[in-house]
Amino acid sequence: MASHGIARTIRTRTDEQREQDLDKIAKYRDLETQIRMRVKQGSNSDNDNGSYADPVLFQLTTKLLRLNPEYYTIWNVRRCCLTSGLLCRRSGGSSLSKASPSTSRSDTMRPSSGDCLPSSSDSTRPDRKSLRAGRDGKSGISADDGTGSHDTNTGRTQEAEATGADTQEEDDTEAIGKDTGLLQSELAFTIPLLLEFPKCYWIWNYRSWLLSEAISRLPSTIARQIWEAELALTAKMLAKDRRNFHAWSYRRHVVATLESPALNGSSMAETEFAYTTKMIGADLSNFSAWHHRSRLILRVLDEKDADDQARKAFLEEELALAREGLNVGPEDQSLWYYHQFLMSHLTEYSGRVTIAPALTVEERRAYVMKEIEEIKDLLEDYDDVKWIYQGLLDYTLALGSLGGEGKGNEAEGFKDDMQEWLAKLRKLDPMRNGRWDDVEKTLEGW
Amino acid sequence: MANLSKLPDELQLATAAHVKYIQSLDTRKDEYEYWLTEHLRLNGLYWGLTALHLLGQPDALPRAETIDFVLSCQHDNGGFGAAPGHDAHMLYTVSAVQILAMIDAFDDLEKRGKGKAAVGKFIADLQNRKTGTFAGDEWGEEDTRFLYGAFNALSLLDMVDLVDVDKAVDYIISCANFDGGYGLSPGSETHSGQIFTCLAALSIAGRMESVEVDKLGKWLSERQVAGGGLNGRPEKDEDVCYSWWVLSSLEMIGRTHWIDRDALIAFILRCQDPELGGIADRPGNMVDVWHTLFGITGLTLLGYPGLEPVNPVYCLPKSTTDRVLGSRT
Ligand SMILES: [Zn+2]
Repeated sequence: MASHGIARTIRTRTDEQREQDLDKIAKYRDLETQIRMRVKQGSNSDNDNGSYADPVLFQLTTKLLRLNPEYYTIWNVRRCCLTSGLLCRRSGGSSLSKASPSTSRSDTMRPSSGDCLPSSSDSTRPDRKSLRAGRDGKSGISADDGTGSHDTNTGRTQEAEATGADTQEEDDTEAIGKDTGLLQSELAFTIPLLLEFPKCYWIWNYRSWLLSEAISRLPSTIARQIWEAELALTAKMLAKDRRNFHAWSYRRHVVATLESPALNGSSMAETEFAYTTKMIGADLSNFSAWHHRSRLILRVLDEKDADDQARKAFLEEELALAREGLNVGPEDQSLWYYHQFLMSHLTEYSGRVTIAPALTVEERRAYVMKEIEEIKDLLEDYDDVKWIYQGLLDYTLALGSLGGEGKGNEAEGFKDDMQEWLAKLRKLDPMRNGRWDDVEKTLEGW
Repeated sequence: MANLSKLPDELQLATAAHVKYIQSLDTRKDEYEYWLTEHLRLNGLYWGLTALHLLGQPDALPRAETIDFVLSCQHDNGGFGAAPGHDAHMLYTVSAVQILAMIDAFDDLEKRGKGKAAVGKFIADLQNRKTGTFAGDEWGEEDTRFLYGAFNALSLLDMVDLVDVDKAVDYIISCANFDGGYGLSPGSETHSGQIFTCLAALSIAGRMESVEVDKLGKWLSERQVAGGGLNGRPEKDEDVCYSWWVLSSLEMIGRTHWIDRDALIAFILRCQDPELGGIADRPGNMVDVWHTLFGITGLTLLGYPGLEPVNPVYCLPKSTTDRVLGSRT
């Protein structure tokens, strides 16, 4: 319903093709009907296990999702299959005193893993409690359905006391192994789907949910290994599509989780910073990588306990890096945006944390002046790149608003230049003439 | 762009063909693709119906059947799924509310559906009270798209006070970047789609004061590329749907004059299929209802003649938001 990049063709189907389509539709809809029936049957029967503790249902979701991974309701059914019996260990891990920190009711109104109830609007919903009751002890399933991590703690404790500690431990080792295997095979199941549909939100959502289940159900050392493998996967995805918005965002989420106490983590700012250096080295135009870098700088400096001198040096290095790139590709917007980002740390410093906070106004002015001069030098090789004139105008205006001594003189010195740059912009970039009109008004009052 | 009849052929919007195209969408049940996209059905109805309203053909889809279908997607918890048998989710609940608002059918929701209060509760329960943002459903995936959707639907229902608006606004502000734009979560790269959702949510909350208008306006205006179309991020290709995300954002901050209107109009019109109707992402590509809507919303925001005005915050006909929101103080 929203297609991108598919060429328009006149669609005429032969009778045979139409028959084939009808056949595909019939098979697809039959699969869908089977799933709906099984979900509904289980909920209407007196079966205490509920409708999702059904291996056939699980297999059917595999089939349907391979045909259509956008079918979010089927992913939900699959999750319910996992939490309603396939996964052995309860959410929150086996350690009974360990409550999952992110899922307490006071944080959010949502349950941690959804309501595994049939969702058709006409069916009578059974009480959640009755679904859960009686599950223990059946077919080696030793945990509840995982939806009740908040309200079943008491029950669990009693149950644990009733079980011998040794058998508990043995069962637990086996359960850990089984759940680890199951979560990993689920993660593997999504890989071919992700490769075929890299922008499908629902696959990423499901994956992300599996990973959070790993944290709440498995010992942190094992969960950590699973998350580390996920970081490797994002690197693979980004190697294939360097600017995949989802993949970058997902990577930030994976890194933040690996850094968190839940996985006994510590800061990865430095290694992530190195990752951006690598990605930028491969492709200077990768704004996503520059953006990621811009978000790490302050943390890297803080963690290094960088003093004022080191911070200044760092800023100079980064400015030089951006400028080197601009010398080769002055039309590269990614580089200009990163350069602007750095410059904003010189010119907009009050009330915010910046790279080199100890700089005096005079030092700031000197840095900005130096950048303006360097950018002017670009004009010798490139006199028809609008970004250069735009940079000159922006930075000169910023210089004017910096304050400090000598402001008047510098401003006077630039007045004619600025008119000339603006005239160039109008000529090189007439699409944005409305904007240049507004800049002209600003210059009049300057 | 004053007079329609004076426009050359290549600048004529094929209105009749587009209406026919949208009307035909639900008659394609013998195509496999129709069934593979059922998870978008309610969104698709909203896209198509809004396009028809903006084309001045609000009655081109039967009203009674539309209401019946929308209500058939509702669950006991008040939320709506994409189609009957699909789970409730924020995305479809918002589309349902928008459709019902457009065809003035909140009364039917009250009498024959689960009622406005249930819808409001479904949406409000998805707010993360700690961070202020919203999940799409009970499984917890969060995204600023859902936050915007919640504000959009709740304000149409006059139930914004069910949620913590201040917390949500703080969350949006935490998604802002140095370039004045917004990402899908704190720390994410600026993206036109997210700029739209964040600006529109701030606008509904009446909290536009935190927006860095000139910085953002610069970034947005740079989205126009040589062919006249708009892209979503630096160094990406142009695409008709950004005629909405970028343009409505420029409109919300009063900077639409920073791009070349005529060049964008010409680009959108080059993407239409003048014979069979519908608009594609780029010239020569396959049309779909999503790009058809956002091509038309773009054209009406640009003042193309003969179209109904659109509300840039709600993505609904201005006549709808005037009627639903107008009476409130
Ligand atoms: Zn598009």
